[in-house]
Amino acid sequence: MMEVKYLTEFYHLDEFRYLEGYKKNGGYVQLEKALKMQPQQIVDEVKASGLRGRGGAGFSTGMKWSFLPKNNEPRYLICNADEGEPGTFKDRLMMERAPHQLIEGMIISAFAVNSKKSYIYVRGEYDFPIKVLEQAVQEAYKAGYLGKNILGSGFDHDLDVYRGAGAYICGEETGLISSLEGLKGQPKLKPPFPAIQGYLRKPTVVNNVETLAAVKYIIRDGAQGYRKFGTEKAPGTKLFSLSGNVKTPGNYEVPLGYSLMDLIMKEGSGMKVGRKLKAVIPGGSSAPVLTAEEVAKATLDYECLAGMGTMLGSGAVIVIDDSQCMVDMLGVLMHFYHHESCGQCTPCREGTGWLNKIVHSILEGRGRLQDIDLLIKVADNMKGRTICALSDAAALPVLSFVSKFREEFEFYVREGRSKVRGNFYAQMHH
Amino acid sequence: MPKCTINGKEVEVKDGQTIMEAFHKAGEPIAHYCYHPGLSVAGVCRLCICDIEGNPRPQIACNTAVAEGMKVSTKSEKIKDGVKWVLDFHLINHPLDCPVCDQAGECGLQEQYMEFGKYDPEMAERKVKKHKVVDLGPTVVLDSERCILCSRCVRFTEEVSKTNELGIYNRGDRSEIGCVEGKILDNKYSLNTVDICPVGALTSKDFRFKQRVWYLKDSETVCNGCSTGCNVKVYFNKEGMFRVKPVYNEKVNGHWMCDDGRQIYQFANKEFRFQKALKKDSSGQQEMLPGALAKELHEVVKRGKDQTAVVLTGQYTSEEYDSFIGTLSKEFGIKKFFHWDNCLEQRNDFDGLLIRGDKNPNTKGLEKIFEKYQIKTEWVDLEKGISSKAIKNLIVAGPENASVFNDMDAKLKLYEKAENLIWLGSAKIEALLSLKNNLFVIPLKSFVEKEGTFINHAGLEQKFKKATTILHECLTLTEVAILFAGKNLMMPYSQEKPDFVESQRRKDQVLLENRKKNEFVFKRGTL
Repeated sequence: MMEVKYLTEFYHLDEFRYLEGYKKNGGYVQLEKALKMQPQQIVDEVKASGLRGRGGAGFSTGMKWSFLPKNNEPRYLICNADEGEPGTFKDRLMMERAPHQLIEGMIISAFAVNSKKSYIYVRGEYDFPIKVLEQAVQEAYKAGYLGKNILGSGFDHDLDVYRGAGAYICGEETGLISSLEGLKGQPKLKPPFPAIQGYLRKPTVVNNVETLAAVKYIIRDGAQGYRKFGTEKAPGTKLFSLSGNVKTPGNYEVPLGYSLMDLIMKEGSGMKVGRKLKAVIPGGSSAPVLTAEEVAKATLDYECLAGMGTMLGSGAVIVIDDSQCMVDMLGVLMHFYHHESCGQCTPCREGTGWLNKIVHSILEGRGRLQDIDLLIKVADNMKGRTICALSDAAALPVLSFVSKFREEFEFYVREGRSKVRGNFYAQMHH
Repeated sequence: MPKCTINGKEVEVKDGQTIMEAFHKAGEPIAHYCYHPGLSVAGVCRLCICDIEGNPRPQIACNTAVAEGMKVSTKSEKIKDGVKWVLDFHLINHPLDCPVCDQAGECGLQEQYMEFGKYDPEMAERKVKKHKVVDLGPTVVLDSERCILCSRCVRFTEEVSKTNELGIYNRGDRSEIGCVEGKILDNKYSLNTVDICPVGALTSKDFRFKQRVWYLKDSETVCNGCSTGCNVKVYFNKEGMFRVKPVYNEKVNGHWMCDDGRQIYQFANKEFRFQKALKKDSSGQQEMLPGALAKELHEVVKRGKDQTAVVLTGQYTSEEYDSFIGTLSKEFGIKKFFHWDNCLEQRNDFDGLLIRGDKNPNTKGLEKIFEKYQIKTEWVDLEKGISSKAIKNLIVAGPENASVFNDMDAKLKLYEKAENLIWLGSAKIEALLSLKNNLFVIPLKSFVEKEGTFINHAGLEQKFKKATTILHECLTLTEVAILFAGKNLMMPYSQEKPDFVESQRRKDQVLLENRKKNEFVFKRGTL
């Protein structure tokens, strides 16, 4: 077992959710330390730690912070807790088990970027995490960790928990900002980037829950201490949401660079009895799928997975066994992306619907052989053509599913039924 | 001032200008829908993709600023194919009802498709059906299924009219334009949304299905609805005028015009105008040709020149004022010229965008000519003169747009006291005919039937040309002045070209007069 308990060291303790329990286990000590540092020192330390955004893009956190203008203009820090990517459930664990860990990380980060106001934008469906966070925020205010003159440092900071709009696209940082502004949750054109013009047209930093939670550990252990885990280009640990056909699905914290096969076979306790590994979606449903052969060579870090034509994404590892039909799975994914497209950019608005229709006509036995190539053509022309990455998120699974499992699609078209599980879908829908 | 290369042409643009603007400056075509120079950039149609040298991914021209030395192209096969595909995305759920669509003939989707499109559609699936004939408000109808979600109309109500009635509802390919709950699209500029709609989704209730656009001719002129003097295009054919649309003028109206201004085509049409000259006195009532009556009135004016006053409204051209006042003062020595100002109290009202309280197009022009001839009369002198019978003959150059003369009844009561009332004007005013004095009505040309100059509220002189002829016998004020002076009018009939030149007509073109109206089109979509 290579699972490490770095960020998640105290997650097994129920008391860690509350201020007293959190403080008993070293909580808010790093905040006191950080408030005695210069903000730029913190930014430099985070930059030196090599911490990369854990929401999906994997961009350098310290770099993102340093894009903010160097002036006293009001700016905002937003925690992106709109965890909506199918297969991803790591932020939920962090919010439920360690809300103060996130809050402490946010206050330190806010101090570093000189923000007096921050928001935690939580997925609308996350009812329980919202309650836990709200309670923790109240506790933090009462204890003087939030509000005016925090711990006598002269630094003021307010934090609000905001319930999201229940739309996948609100997890995209500019869509999230639109939603927080009270507008329809639609991504905004870039440039201007949020660091220059974000929430309420002010400089804004948007970071994922896990990213912000990691900041206090960088303060505690220093950049080099943080780098004891992970690889040179992808330091630190990361939570992976392991789901699908494994014996023990769940959230596992492992160092970046860890073997994907080990995550499945060791942390996940292997495939379900009698089943064989067929494929893995390594980074949330938008990541291109890997075949079993590719999985054997993959490590869980940004570079390795990018080199294999896929991505680490949010760290949602979806394991597919030999009983699963890839056409079925693509049908589920296309239904999701069609439903969640905000409708703003034409290739995504119309393309997601088109892809969904093609896949479902195959599933319903009305498919034509040319539909398989059409899927590729439509997806190709959606990729990289829109304001945000939702269009890519719909296109990439199509391209990888069809190219890597083409024989299943062709069989379905020719025979009008699944190569893997007969005509179950047809029975369900007719 | 960065320099860039657009499809091989070097152009220099202002700092901060976008690639789209550079394309326009270079005169190079580039596909686009959601981009509109009068609105913010939405960047959603994704049609204006282009290659920027050194950039691995295609970028959109509307939201990318030009940088020094940038080399941009839309010529690569990758970009051409990309644009074709985006057009296909636009079309997959768009109905193919072009033959009955009101936008046919001036549809952006058709035009872009012909230039950049893809001729092998690949969509075999069922289209998403959206709503038809949605009543958005008093002026505009929405056919949602045709909408390509460019968001121009939504941005217009947010950014220009600032009335925020419209929004895009639902998500993905279920997205539809609609009014905010509890609101209707009802503002003074609502019909601009129809102008900027690149497809036939938003149509004007007033114009919808009245004419196919290829049966219309157009001509640019200046709106005479108020003192802003918006630059407009009027659309007409032998059946009359049908609509007015704005023409861009940065100094005057930008890209827009108001809904009231769009009504000006109506009072230029026959049914709202005096079509014959009229002479009514104790001996009875007689219809005449305008020129003949004007010539006949020479004696009346001459006889009573000392007892004659002239009332002018701000609805004529500066040239007409000059010749009319000049002729009457020179030929007859008339000194009593008065300005009938219908908007005195609200003269300086302004809605912050285009609409001004002065509902006359050339008040400034009239004032300028009054100054030239040193006319300093007060309205009260006219009232006194009429009451004391010092003024027996009254010549009134009345309004072309009578609907903005709220004081019409009161003024007619005053004019009724004069012995002879010579009424010059194009608007048919029924109340005139029941007045008790000797009445002479000479129909005048409307602003689209003559050329001249209007001076707007800001003192900007705008010359405009003749657009068409609706009533052939009508006169201008200048022509009336010549005839009043007892001179002959030389009508350049031989030089005037007919509206339709037979030799220029294509052999396959259906003649307007032979066309059978399509009853299906006329009935369909009627609210």
